[in-house]
Amino acid sequence: MIKEVHMPKLSPKSNQYFFGEWLKEPGDKVSKGDVLFEVETDKVVSQVESQETGVLKEHQVKSGQTVVVGDLVATIEVSES
Amino acid sequence: MKQNNKKTTKPVWLKVTYDQKKVDRMNELLSGLSLNTVCAEANCPNLGECFGSGTASFMILGPNCTRSCRFCDVPHGHPKPVDLTEPLRVAQATKKLGLTHVVVTSVDRDDLPDLGSDQFVRTIQALHEVTPETTIEVLTPDFQGRTDCLDKIIAAKPDVFNHNMETVRSITPKVRHRATYSTSLGVLKYVKEHATSKTFVKTGIMLGLGEKDEEVYALMNDLRSINVDFLTIGQYVQPSEKHYKLREWVPLERYQKYYHEAKIRGFKFIASSPLVRSSYKAQEELMAVYEK
Repeated sequence: MIKEVHMPKLSPKSNQYFFGEWLKEPGDKVSKGDVLFEVETDKVVSQVESQETGVLKEHQVKSGQTVVVGDLVATIEVSES
Repeated sequence: MKQNNKKTTKPVWLKVTYDQKKVDRMNELLSGLSLNTVCAEANCPNLGECFGSGTASFMILGPNCTRSCRFCDVPHGHPKPVDLTEPLRVAQATKKLGLTHVVVTSVDRDDLPDLGSDQFVRTIQALHEVTPETTIEVLTPDFQGRTDCLDKIIAAKPDVFNHNMETVRSITPKVRHRATYSTSLGVLKYVKEHATSKTFVKTGIMLGLGEKDEEVYALMNDLRSINVDFLTIGQYVQPSEKHYKLREWVPLERYQKYYHEAKIRGFKFIASSPLVRSSYKAQEELMAVYEK
């Protein structure tokens, strides 16, 4: 089953951020709590953790891109259980 | 609109982790009770960590502030009428979150005859009633230096009275609005002299505004000359282009140096590192002193 990862709201004051680095590549195993990617907001660089356990399928955004809260950023394949 | 391919200039220690579900849960609880936090209003870099672990600093009398300090991200605007149910809601949220230490701060309310001091008192009283075991820290405005306001707060017996100096003397007029170095120092002095020894007096400063070593030491000396107990030192992070320009990401070594200089001068507790904010891990601070 494919789960979508959307950009969370990381700053109470803004909905648009600067996408930093990916810490997981397509094909990588991810566990709940692993850092998936980094996003820069006005005050901080946030490391966003995975809410799922599975295999990262696809990146939907690239480093350096501007992202908006709610944007699809990745897909993760989780096993049915 | 932010430019693509913008290179980050933020230092590595400004990386924080973020667990969306936990933060969402906290946001739900807070908005359900219509409470403001300084965490959200000031866009704090530690929000993910603190909300993730179920702690928050309540900001009463807000969300709009009557002052517009150049370092601060709390919105300046027309203040709202005082909500007399807010103190009880703060106490209820504190109980619900199971906080053993709570930090209550406020916006400046120069528009009110009591400058907001009565709402602090009501909040302390509500907390005493609803959750008597919780230790209480207030982080207050300068109340324009008015001792009648301070007297009321002293009488309500918070465990920690915190009022931030924010920066060294020379930079104060550049970043603070309608607040002066001497008024703030006077506030701390008055509370230290008039409160019982059970109320600790605390202050905090930001680094990276262009302050020099000697100026920081002069500030420490001023604070110790009036027996301020706790000192917090953290990095200023410029909230937006419009705010006071960040002069420097202060290297970690300087935080350590200042820690030692503060220790020598006799502060009971010092927190000195980039992500320290005045209420960050305030409970650990108080516990460390109680254990001594």
